[in-house]
Amino acid sequence: MCLNNTRQDRMQHFTPEEIQLLHDASMKILSEVGVEFNSAAAVTIFEKNGFKTDGKKVFFTENDVLKALETTPSRFVVKSRNGDKNVTIGEQNYVLLPTGGASNVVTPTGEQRPTTFADYQTCCRLVQTSDQLDMTGFLMVQPNDLPPQTAHLDMVSANITLCDKPYMSATSTGETVVDSIEMAAIVWGGKEALHREPVMVAIANVMSPLQYSGEQAEVIMEMARYRQPVILTTMVLAGSSGPISLPGVLALQNAELLAGVVLTQLVGPGTPVVYSSTSAPMDMKAMTSAVGAPETAKLASGTIQMARFYKLPCRTGGALTDAHYPDAQAAVEGALTLSTAVRNGANFIFHACGQMGGYISMSFEKWLIDEELCRILRNMLTPMTITPETIDVETIASIGPGGQYLTHPKTFQQFRNLSQPVLFNRKDFGKWFDSGAERVDEVATKKLAERLEGYSKPPIDTGLEEALDEYVQRRKALRS
Amino acid sequence: MAVKDAYQAVIEFDMEKVVSSVKAEIAAGTDIQTLLNEGLISAMDEVGKKFSDGDLFVPEMLMAAQAMKAGLEVVKPHLADGATESRGTIVIGTVKGDLHDIGKNLVAMMMEGGGFEVVDLGVDVDAEKFVEAAKAHNAGVIGLSALLTTTMPAMEATIKAVKEAGLNVKTMVGGAPVTEDFAASIGADGYSADAPGAVEMARKLIADQKMAA
Repeated sequence: MCLNNTRQDRMQHFTPEEIQLLHDASMKILSEVGVEFNSAAAVTIFEKNGFKTDGKKVFFTENDVLKALETTPSRFVVKSRNGDKNVTIGEQNYVLLPTGGASNVVTPTGEQRPTTFADYQTCCRLVQTSDQLDMTGFLMVQPNDLPPQTAHLDMVSANITLCDKPYMSATSTGETVVDSIEMAAIVWGGKEALHREPVMVAIANVMSPLQYSGEQAEVIMEMARYRQPVILTTMVLAGSSGPISLPGVLALQNAELLAGVVLTQLVGPGTPVVYSSTSAPMDMKAMTSAVGAPETAKLASGTIQMARFYKLPCRTGGALTDAHYPDAQAAVEGALTLSTAVRNGANFIFHACGQMGGYISMSFEKWLIDEELCRILRNMLTPMTITPETIDVETIASIGPGGQYLTHPKTFQQFRNLSQPVLFNRKDFGKWFDSGAERVDEVATKKLAERLEGYSKPPIDTGLEEALDEYVQRRKALRS
Repeated sequence: MAVKDAYQAVIEFDMEKVVSSVKAEIAAGTDIQTLLNEGLISAMDEVGKKFSDGDLFVPEMLMAAQAMKAGLEVVKPHLADGATESRGTIVIGTVKGDLHDIGKNLVAMMMEGGGFEVVDLGVDVDAEKFVEAAKAHNAGVIGLSALLTTTMPAMEATIKAVKEAGLNVKTMVGGAPVTEDFAASIGADGYSADAPGAVEMARKLIADQKMAA
């Protein structure tokens, strides 16, 4: 018998020729059109390294790009404060992070209220107690009740003290990264320790098309100085900040990202860079970014394939939706965008839990529902071990035609290996109805309270906590 | 041939037909204000309404705006002095710390389509620059745009600066993260969720501002 044993997935797998076309197009963009860096310091670095520049526009040759790719790692570890929760990012390894950037929470009644620092602390506690999330993000919600100039200090401090999983650095400007580096230095016993290995990551954003703002260029350079990983992210909106054609978007974003990769390696050779895109179509009726659209998932898949071509870890996807309530639309769109990213090979998945429409709001209920989605996905992707022992023909033979397996010792020993949902219903209709006929978002609201009650603060050296607090208070006094 | 030909050409976003219709009307001696108001501006109002109702796509709306603008260029030299000023001047820009401008540019185009003079200050505009421009151009409305939630405080700072300068000018805000509640909380006079709504709001605010003058 001869069966076709190749992997089956109906999603488009780019041919080497197609990838080469996209790469060549990006090279043309980089060498003929250029990328603007609104940072004199960044432009100076390029000039000093012999790059052709024209004002703030920088041009790149293919050799410049290939040289940078010689020093970028395909996989790296980010350490955790107490040492037992380190994460590996790249190649077959991936991490899931919660949503970030929202300035509103969706209430159980479907309204929105502004987010606060208390909500941010809730996010830290939820990550700490999560069996799915690997890291805390930065700006998991926007703390609207804190002074904007110093809010990052409280957020990074919360990341470090309320949770001991690896975390994201502040990322709005170079100065906030500097504060994050100083705080990390307090945790790790000095800045020299940071050069040895990553202890935090930061998202840096491209401004499509083909621009880097001054602040984001500074973020890149500060992180690269300390060899701390940069999640270099673009969000091209097809038909608005980028071409209407999806291959055009892939070529454009590729050029944008490779320019940023080059900068990281010029400042700090060996700095890990995660090739990241959340590009999506522009909805031409609503004038919104349609992140739950099928095109977003296709672009995510394309992004992963391009990253793989460059042997770079990749960020894309999330449980993304355009809905404003954790409803069926949110579940459908979230499941498709998240599963595409995970299944196609993304390594860093931000917004894996809690994101709501437009990235402007978030939902704690959706966070818990998305964790169930993550749980299901991880189980789906855990391979079966196929051996004579696991097939166990002897048991099948001993039970024979018409028997039952419920009382078999093997079933008794191993039934707990089958998954059990935390939130989702499996009761039959009668039992479900009699126990309250709760919709899953209502179950989530209840579980949220229970979950937070079960939180306990991870151990932290008192001296460390005091030193961090002293730094935060000192910086607040200076910056206020 | 009639003014409604120019109107229809705008609705069909046919630039050539708009220009030829307008030229024909001018040659025929049609009243210029009528041509402007009923042929061009009203057509853009209709386009805006269709978009807000979900019947038209953004690229179509922009095509219509470009077609209308081409017609406007033909009409302008024939307008009596001061006739355009009567509609009002809008100063518009993206606030300090934010470089996003696509939405803002869309609103600026629709404002022109609505018959306003538009002074576009670009992106990353600090409060003082908005105030200076409003003074220099005798603006009736200042329009502030932001995409980043982190730059929304700059909207509040700008509105404060406008009030402190004691200018008789109205402020309005917009952008993806901006809501009506937020606009009210920072003391903005107006808000719109989309570009055609911004034109309507600007007209209302100009009328209010004139009454206060």
